[in-house]
Order: sequence, then structure tokens, then C-alpha cells
Amino acid sequence: MPDKKIRVLMSKPGIDGHWRGGIVVSRALRDAGMELIFGGFQNIKEIVESAIHEDVDVIGLSIHSGAHLTYTQQVIDLLKERGVLDDILIIVGGVIPAQDFPKLKEIGVANVYGPGSLVSDIVEFIKERITK
Amino acid sequence: MFDEEYLKKIREKKEDWDKNFENAKERNVKFVTDSDIPIRRLYTPLDVKGDFLEKVNFPGVPPYTRGIYPTMYRGRVWTMRLFSGHGTPEETNKRWKFLYENGETGFSAAVDALTFNGIDPTNPDGAPEVGTSGVPLYCIDSLFALTEDIPIDKVSVALVVEPFTSAPVCAMYFNMAKMRGYDLKSLIGTTQNDILTMTVGYIPYKNVAPNHLLRLACDFIEWTVPMKNVPQWHPINFTGYNYREGGIDAVQELAFVFASACSHIDNLVERGWKAEDFVNRLAFHLAAHKDFFEEIAKYRAARRIWATLMKDRYNIQDPKSMEFRFHVQTAGSSLTAQTPKVNIIRTAIQALEANLGGCQSLHTNSYDEAICLPSEEAALIALRTQQVISEETRITNTVDPLAGSYFIEWLTDEVENRVMKYIDKIEKVGSIDKALSTGFLYKEMRDAFHKRRARIEKGEEIFLGVNKYPEPYDTCTDVFRTNESAIQIEVDRIKKLKARRDNAKLENILDKLRNMCEKEENVMPIIMEATKEGATVGEICDIYREIWGIWEPPLAI
Repeated sequence: MPDKKIRVLMSKPGIDGHWRGGIVVSRALRDAGMELIFGGFQNIKEIVESAIHEDVDVIGLSIHSGAHLTYTQQVIDLLKERGVLDDILIIVGGVIPAQDFPKLKEIGVANVYGPGSLVSDIVEFIKERITK
Repeated sequence: MFDEEYLKKIREKKEDWDKNFENAKERNVKFVTDSDIPIRRLYTPLDVKGDFLEKVNFPGVPPYTRGIYPTMYRGRVWTMRLFSGHGTPEETNKRWKFLYENGETGFSAAVDALTFNGIDPTNPDGAPEVGTSGVPLYCIDSLFALTEDIPIDKVSVALVVEPFTSAPVCAMYFNMAKMRGYDLKSLIGTTQNDILTMTVGYIPYKNVAPNHLLRLACDFIEWTVPMKNVPQWHPINFTGYNYREGGIDAVQELAFVFASACSHIDNLVERGWKAEDFVNRLAFHLAAHKDFFEEIAKYRAARRIWATLMKDRYNIQDPKSMEFRFHVQTAGSSLTAQTPKVNIIRTAIQALEANLGGCQSLHTNSYDEAICLPSEEAALIALRTQQVISEETRITNTVDPLAGSYFIEWLTDEVENRVMKYIDKIEKVGSIDKALSTGFLYKEMRDAFHKRRARIEKGEEIFLGVNKYPEPYDTCTDVFRTNESAIQIEVDRIKKLKARRDNAKLENILDKLRNMCEKEENVMPIIMEATKEGATVGEICDIYREIWGIWEPPLAI
């Protein structure tokens, strides 16, 4: 048994308000025993600051605006600048074309969950990658 | 609706039949509608209750169960109105013309997240989203570009903006129309102006509290219709579609829109207007979801409920003011990113529901809905889907063809009864702004999210390609990408506007707007003036924020 809960920050970069995905995944992660910090709307600086401040293991970015490549790159650049990129698992979900999955993984995203993803798969993936 | 003696005979025969076939084979699944209404094996005249003339009657007369016009599609086919917008106003104009040339009969502007939230493109928080999920409409120049060479006096335009930005965006549109020489008195179109869309449908980014949004929505209705500035306009379109997409069911969808509509009527009545002065211009926008018959019953029930509410609650006498007119959008959330071409079939079936249910206007989704904004090819197929129904199937031959089906009439009653109960549940919390600020509607939405998720994971709700016959994501579809230069183009557009406008004069007007906001006077006249002088949507919304403060919605996980 892990002696410490996995800590996850769920955030919506930008200003697009599609909120169902982020809420559904947040509840599932909490139900699976993880510590969930729901950031809601956050700009890039706020995401990185609260990830560091809250000492999270995972950042979940919920993006439905079509601007997933821009926002994800900005988050990763700032995490790298702050020297914490290697400590945090980054997961992206939302309306994201499968054609963009390789590009997101190339820049440092651990996994991408498009429409129709099962939340149980997300839980399993995080538990597999974060062993405490 | 049937002779009592004959019903007795049917009842006896039905009992025999039930007994004889009690153990007839049935699959081991739950036979329920999407709203969890249990469905029996068979419906007969025994299930159709009440008086035909009172409950069903003829089309074109109350309670309008069969349709609001006596001839329905024999007189005029529904408006084919595709929700459309991307990149820049110029690119959107090009797409609109393409669809118009291919037979589209109405326009609908899908705006980007900045326009929805009253954020100018110079704000770094939203800049990457300029034009990515709709057309950017930040200033009056954008409205000129959007409608260039489009006959807006003949074809109606729907502006899909909500109370937080409906006044500035529509004021820009009205000013543009005036400058082009159109008479606002004969201008046709719709503003969505729906309080629930940018509160529980989508979460708002730095908007104001629901009581202010309700006031802004009603200011807009008041200025256009009863004050007769744009009397042919539909100043509000109660948009159940947007929250239905979140996961609530058909019953909740109708209850949400009716509770909301009543709060708006009450607000305007408190201002001294009579309901008759404006209710005939109120419009609705509903979903066409996966449950074929329930959706058709929903549209029929909606017409009857509305007519009854108008008559009983608001004492309306004029039958014209009891008509429930509605636009339909097929269900984006029913579509999949896996095997996307199957989405064409789903959309066609949902469109048929809307048409059999007697909609006035219809948007059909593109098959690439779960992947990106619609490509031109996908949008054209969506339009052709409606045209196949209207031109090839002959379903337009008669009015309300499913009326008299024992099942449809029973289900219409059932939906109606459940909706009335749910409206009570909402109204116990209070008016629609209270139902929002107390968090009640957020909890209802949240519960719906989780209920639907559980149903999908248990396989009680099927998505082919996802939880049955699973397929990998499709990587063959050409992903439609919005213009990456849109940010620069829009920043430049605003720069140019600011360079030519009289900033001192505008400041004066904006000061007056501050006053109006504080004094609770209708904001529309001053916003007409401000946008004419070149105020941006962001500048108007910043004044709302300054006077009323930013509201944090009570989200529930």
C-alpha cells in the first residue's frame, strides 16, 4: 500500500468553459483515493505556481478550445524553467485530434485522453506511473 | 379519447393477451428512455388519456401539440441553419456564403471563447483562443466583415452570445445594419441571450453574478421587443441544448428552459410590461438526442406545456402568444472520435426526430464534431443530411405524422407530467438566478455528469466504437485547423479602430454606462451609442466587472 496519496492538480488553461470532462475525471481520481486539487480556470503561471506550491505528482490539463498545443507547450516550458518538469506527470484531456497525440507526447506529455476515454483507464495509468 | 364501452372490450382482450404471452421472450435489458421513463412492451388505446380536442387538437391552434402552424412543412420547410464560425470574420463570411450557395436558409454565428466572455484579444489569458472555437467578434468592424455581401434583410441571422455579451455584440450588429441602410424595425434574427448557457452549460470566465446576467438579458428583451426598437427580432433563445449536452435528460432540459423563461417573464412584468407585449418573440433551442421517440414526445410536450403556462400562469388570451417556436441542434455529445463517419448516420436520425417533432429551424452536426471545428466537406454533408430529409423522403407531406400513435401520445403525456414536477423542484429554490447562485443547478448538472459516466462505463448507454465494438481513434480524417494568424489580425483590427475613434467622446459615453449599471436603467441605448463610437466588447464588459464585480460560480465536483 502506498503510504502517501497521489496528488493531482486538475486545471483548465485559458478561458474556454467546457467543464464536464474536468469534473468527471476529477471525481474519478478522488474516488480512486487520490488527493485532488481542482484549479479550475488558471493561466500558465498560476498552473505552475500551484503545482509547485501544492507539491503535486500529476497535472491534468483539460482543454476543449482547440488551443491544446499552445497551452501545453507553455505549461511545459515554464515547468522546465522552474526546474520541476521531471518531477511531474503531465496528462492532457479534451477534444483533441488523435493526429496531435504524438506531437503532445514529443513535447513531454505522458498521455492524452480524447473524447470517449474511459476514466478507469486514466486512473490505472496514473497509478502505474506514480508509485509511492 | 375512445368510447368507454369499446375501451372495456379492449381491456378484456388486453388482459387475455397479457396472460397468453406473459412468458414470451424478452431480452435481459432495461427498457427505459434516456430520461429513465420505464417503457412497456406495448401501448394500446387504453394508454391514451384525456380529451382529443383539449390535449392534441389541430395544428396552428392551442395547445399546439401538433405544431404551431396549420400547414407546417407543407407551407414552409424548416430553416436550415448551421452553427458556424472560425478564425476571423472574413473567413467565417466565406464559409457562410459557401453554405448559402449550397442551399442553407439561415445563418448562425458561433463565436469564440473571448467573445463569449467579453475579453479583448490583447488580454494574454485568452489570446491563444482567438478564433479557435468560433468567430471573434470584438468590435463593430468585425460585424461588417462577417456579413459582407450577405442579404441580412432576407435571411435571418442568429447571434449566439449570452447575457454577459449579448448587449454589446448585438448593438454592434444593429449599428452595422443601420449604417448599411437597413431598417431595424424589419430586421429579422435571433440572439441566444441565455443565462444558463454561460453559467451551467459552460463555466463563465470572469463574468458577473446571475442576478446581473438576468437583468442584462431582460434589458435586451425589453429594448428590442416591447420598446419596439427591433420588434421582429427574437431577443432570447432559451437554450436547453447546451446544458443537455452536459448530461441532463430530456425532462430536465425542458424544466430548465421553462423555469428560466418564467423568471424572465416575471422580471419584465415587474418592470411594468404585460406578458402579451413580448412573449410571442421568445424562442427556444432544444437538443435532438439519442432516444428517438422520447425526443419527438419532448417537442410535442414542450408545445403543450408552453401554451398551458402562458394561458394559466400569465393569463394570455391571444393564441399567437402561446406558440412555442424552437430551433434544434443534433447532439454533439452523442458523436465519437472513433469511426467518425458513423456520426453521419447518428446525425441523420437525430435530424429526423427534430423534423418529425415539428422544429422551426435545425442545425445538423458535422461528422468531425468530436475532433475539430467542421471542415468545409463535413459541414456540407451536414447540410445535405437535412436536404435529403426535406427533398427526398416526403416526410413533409403531412403535419405531425406520429400523432395518434398510442405510444407517442402516452409518452408525450408522461414527459409533460415529469417536466411539470421538475419545474416545481427548481421553483422551490427560487427564480433562475437564485437557482444558479445557490448552487442548486450546478449540483443537478454535476449529478448528471456522474450518472451518465456510470451508465457509459457499465455499458447501459452504448457508444459504438467506444464501449461496444471499440475502435482506435481515427487518424485519417483531415483535421480542420483554424487560422493561426487570427490573433495578430484581430489585435491589428482593434488597433486600427482605436486609432480612428474619438477616445474622449467614448470615455464620456462609457461613464454614462457606469451610471446606468448602478442605477438599474436599461443599458441598451447607451451601449448602442458606445459601440457605434467604437467601444469593444471587452471594454463594455470591463465596466460590468468594475461595477458589479466578478462572480465565482459554485462549482460542485
